[in-house]
Amino acid sequence: MATAILDKIRVAGLVSCVPRKVVSNLDCPPEKRAERERLVRNIGIQTRRVCDAGQAFSDLALPAAEKLISGLDWKKEDIDVLLVVTQSPDYPIPATAIIMQDRLGLSKSTLAFDINLGCSGYPYGLFVLGSMLSGGRMRRGIVLVGDKSSNPESHDNGLLSLFGDAATATALEFHESAPQMRFHFGSDGSGYKAIIIPAGGQRIPMQAHHLERLPGEDGISRKGTDVILDGPAILNFSIREVPPAVTTLLASSPYTAEAIDYFVFHQANRMINETIRKKLGLPEAKVPSSLHDFGNTSSASIPMTMTVRLRESLLSGPKRVLMSGFGVGLSWASCILELDRPYLPELIEL
Amino acid sequence: MSSIESFISNFTTAVDFQDAVEIKAGTRLADLAEWDSLAALGVIVMFDMEYGVTITGNDLKDCSAIQDVFDLIAKKKG
Repeated sequence: MATAILDKIRVAGLVSCVPRKVVSNLDCPPEKRAERERLVRNIGIQTRRVCDAGQAFSDLALPAAEKLISGLDWKKEDIDVLLVVTQSPDYPIPATAIIMQDRLGLSKSTLAFDINLGCSGYPYGLFVLGSMLSGGRMRRGIVLVGDKSSNPESHDNGLLSLFGDAATATALEFHESAPQMRFHFGSDGSGYKAIIIPAGGQRIPMQAHHLERLPGEDGISRKGTDVILDGPAILNFSIREVPPAVTTLLASSPYTAEAIDYFVFHQANRMINETIRKKLGLPEAKVPSSLHDFGNTSSASIPMTMTVRLRESLLSGPKRVLMSGFGVGLSWASCILELDRPYLPELIEL
Repeated sequence: MSSIESFISNFTTAVDFQDAVEIKAGTRLADLAEWDSLAALGVIVMFDMEYGVTITGNDLKDCSAIQDVFDLIAKKKG
């Protein structure tokens, strides 16, 4: 059981960005309407934001980071670290973070690299960046978190109705009197097949037939480079691991669940999120959701939910927030942060 | 001990049928138009929340009738 505490790190700001293009899960022929309504009711997702062809995750992250830097009035030469948490990099190599150093006009002395995580990625991004800054020698850093997960060409209806695209930029800084951040982590590689793009890596190198759609065991036709989701396995993993992880993190902290203002979970789908909420006995008012309007936005879903659902509250005064991300890997991570009126502008629509 | 009657009620809610269907212990899953991947997820959640039992997608694939799904409770608890 990995738990950790970070000292002297403050969340200075957070900016979220989505594509302007809205896709509705109810946009279908009339004869499909009832079936679609049932889907929306159960997964909790009505609309999603989807990138245009040629628009990458980093194209959403760029304006988010620019707004963050200008809103905080940070000098670019004072930014020591730039991390990117994504599974939709610009290229297999090099790392997107290094390209973003140049696109953002940051100093060549910036430390930059990518972290390959999906839905669990936000707490990991905060922890890795916070760990680098908590010594006080490097003092300011930004972590860009999110994915372009939509794939309009997919033939997998489950996948098509689930994912929205989003990017977020979060600024952390060394701050002598900042409250502690508390973390809990977990990994279970035995479940690596539950969410996987099988072809294109070293294990199954890309071949011509991977670009053809072939029917799988479940009858859905996919390319070798398409994501395969094992819904029941993901569901069982999420409801098995997340509630005890949250309970363990709380028990290792001085706080009861009542002392937490908000519980912000990765936005997987309504069934999973509601089951986790009920297992933890949390009131709906403390568990905000952005699923209905934005879908599952992968690693961006926690900061996105804070931007679109908690902005006014978080700007009104200090708040204690427990966040928990879980998914592809299988991987999960939770943290308790005290947010003291960070820079938190409205959602950017690009 | 759970009754098959209350199980069928839970099952019906979990599948979220658009059109009312009469379900009995012998009803075959393959005959239910809305028995799909979404329904399977709902039933897995229902097993966990109502019966404290974890079942997998493969457990459900091995079932042909409602009675087989109900029997998973005792089988998994046993």
